[in-house]
Amino acid sequence: MSKAVTVRAQKLRRDNTKLRLYIFLVLVAALLLAALFSMRLAPYDPYLQNLDEAMQPPSASHIMGTDQHGRDMFSRVLVGGRTSIFATLALVAVISVFGTVVGTLCGYYGGRVDSVVMRISDVCLAFPGLVFAMAVAALLNGGIGNAVLALAVVSWPKYSRVARSQTLAVKAEDFVSAAKLAGSSSAQVILRHILPNILGPVLVTAMLDIGTMMMELAGLSFLGLGAVPPTAEWGNMMSTGRSMLQMYPWVVLSPGIGIFISVVLFNLLGDTVRDYMDPRNSRSG
Amino acid sequence: MKKIIAVLLALCLSAGMLAGCGSKGDTGSGTAGSAGTEAGKETAAGSGDSGNTQSAGKKTFVFGDTTFNAENEEPNVNPHNAYAGWACIRYGVGETLFRINDSMELEPWIASSYERIDDLTWKIAIKDSVCFSNGKACDAAAVKACLEDLIEVHGRARGDLMIDSIEADGLDLTIKTSVPAPSLLNYLSEPYGCIIDMEAGITEDGIVVGTGPYVAVELVTDDHLNLVKNENYWDGGVKIDEITVRTISDGDTLALALQSGEIDAAYGMAYASYPLFENDNYTFSGTQTSRSFYCQMNFTSPVIQDDAVREAVAMGINKEGFVNTLLNGYGYVGKGAFPDTIAFGGSTLTAKAYDPEGAKAVLEEAGWVDSDGDGIREKDGQKLAIRWLSYPSRQELPLLAESAQATLKEIGIQVDLNVTADHNNIAKDQSAWDIYVGANVNCGLGDPANFFSTHCLDASTKNRGSYHSDKIEELAVRLNSTFDTEERNQTAIQMQQQLLDDNAFVFCSFLRMSMISKSNVTGLAAHPCDFYELTADLDIN
Repeated sequence: MSKAVTVRAQKLRRDNTKLRLYIFLVLVAALLLAALFSMRLAPYDPYLQNLDEAMQPPSASHIMGTDQHGRDMFSRVLVGGRTSIFATLALVAVISVFGTVVGTLCGYYGGRVDSVVMRISDVCLAFPGLVFAMAVAALLNGGIGNAVLALAVVSWPKYSRVARSQTLAVKAEDFVSAAKLAGSSSAQVILRHILPNILGPVLVTAMLDIGTMMMELAGLSFLGLGAVPPTAEWGNMMSTGRSMLQMYPWVVLSPGIGIFISVVLFNLLGDTVRDYMDPRNSRSG
Repeated sequence: MKKIIAVLLALCLSAGMLAGCGSKGDTGSGTAGSAGTEAGKETAAGSGDSGNTQSAGKKTFVFGDTTFNAENEEPNVNPHNAYAGWACIRYGVGETLFRINDSMELEPWIASSYERIDDLTWKIAIKDSVCFSNGKACDAAAVKACLEDLIEVHGRARGDLMIDSIEADGLDLTIKTSVPAPSLLNYLSEPYGCIIDMEAGITEDGIVVGTGPYVAVELVTDDHLNLVKNENYWDGGVKIDEITVRTISDGDTLALALQSGEIDAAYGMAYASYPLFENDNYTFSGTQTSRSFYCQMNFTSPVIQDDAVREAVAMGINKEGFVNTLLNGYGYVGKGAFPDTIAFGGSTLTAKAYDPEGAKAVLEEAGWVDSDGDGIREKDGQKLAIRWLSYPSRQELPLLAESAQATLKEIGIQVDLNVTADHNNIAKDQSAWDIYVGANVNCGLGDPANFFSTHCLDASTKNRGSYHSDKIEELAVRLNSTFDTEERNQTAIQMQQQLLDDNAFVFCSFLRMSMISKSNVTGLAAHPCDFYELTADLDIN
């Protein structure tokens, strides 16, 4: 009796996870599409100034109000989303690929190179991420590209750690030994047998990282180390609106809502992907 | 279960966020609408520090300032150190021989009178009554010792004053200059000219003994300065017993500090915060200064060498919009290098007005047309793009940059912004920029010569774009050797008109310097030259 209940509960949970996955995938896809076509969706030119309409509170014609240059906030938030979201995705793509490659090679070959690379990554991990990124971004000067680079420099070790530990585990499996005995070259073993088996955890890490990275990128821009005006970018828009928080809260809240929605969506998607790929979920059916 | 937790967490987060917004919103509306909230807060805050104000019958005053810091070369109150003289004079520690009045004219301060013996010799009489805060008399010998130390250690002062020798006899000071120096008395009014007691010396913290209404007792660079009343003040009674000047470099923190009652008055508030204080609980004291926000053209850049481009830029910047909207009206539209209110100011000059259609016509005629339909004009296959170099530490400059970028784009000029703290280094590389946009106090001392000699001549250190005009060079020689005020004024006007005719500079606006204080503060008045702030008139009720 109790076994039947458990099985049914598990099946239910799995179906649930699947449903959640689809819902969040659709929502994230919608967000990405909105960001991609933001220039067309925006009701106004996000860079068009109209000083006569500066600082208008939200209304029917400007649903998020206007900023001090009279630019439509809604259009700027939409277009800013493109900058923020795609810069984040690019960042996560770069660090996950680079970190995974480095981690896999280190884990597979081991030896001195492994020790040196891992000590370097230890050093990177020893610093508080954002503080280290600020230092690097300040060295590189402003610009969204440099901010991405700065965060990439400090964030790749996370992936190399994950990839390395997974590689070490997979390397000891019988099928790897079998492949080696069958005469596969190292490259073949890595590509065919190791990488496919470690991608799951890396993917989950990457999905969960998108929200964090988006916050950190916005943080750097807020501090003036990321996107430079007039580029519409959420962190930068919040920073320029900072002094208006009390008088004209919509100037700060609009990009804030943009960040909030996208970070929550990406985090929920990441969680769901993790649940979905959880072996306890898949095996027990 | 997990899902429920996730939803709950998300709800908590949103609730937290909304609560945050709510309270902010309340503050905003309270300030704008009901004075009740604000007044309540005032009383609450007031009772906190009125304990200070009333205790032992002492009157205390706390002043928040964004500029009193090492970054602005004002690490302490020693006038012989970089720009620290500004702090010395602003906070009432030191005073100069002459001062500049509200109409930007000179009047004696520590001095009682002066006489020009010949082109190189000046005789200055010191007031009999003046003494340092330690009680020692401030006579000609003390002034001589101070000025001699100044020109020995302070390069800028040495170059300005051109002092050859000083003689002291009782209360009479005789200064000989090495070349005719028509602006000597103006330069003696520069904050570096604060007279300090050299016998008392300069402490390690940079505290000096001056003749002003307040005595510096404790100083921590970039943090605070404590002042007490000068019991020996020569020019009347001082009303405030203790003053703390707090360095608050962030404009938003400054606004919050004034709202919470932590400080009694503030200097350097962000424009966007002004509406918070436009009510009965606060007093604004503002005045026009000669701090000009200007564009300086780079004459080594091929695109800028085109007369039509410079003219179009001058016609394509919306100065009125910048001042009225972006600066909330706290500024003055500029015409020439000096404010209209000054005798040699902009009122008689002809400057280009904002005229997008006219600018388009000028560019059209010069062959700049938009042939590929992207909104940016081209000529001989070259895009009309201008690199705009400016810096963020003056809050007006990024606003001006973005505003100009938009209005110039309308007339078909693409503006690439580089607003960076590293502007001084980049400006040295003339191939890296086309228009430099900065802020400068063009006649803080009530005299026109300084602006031209630093910005417009072949030998000028800040002639960043290698501008050259034979006429300006010629007029500068006349300006620097003429003692007659009317002739100097006329020369200065001619020189400004020449700059405008050449479109070598675009003077966009002048700063309205404002101090905001609680309504119980009196005697805190902004001054056009920006460096008289805390005086003996200051009182708190």
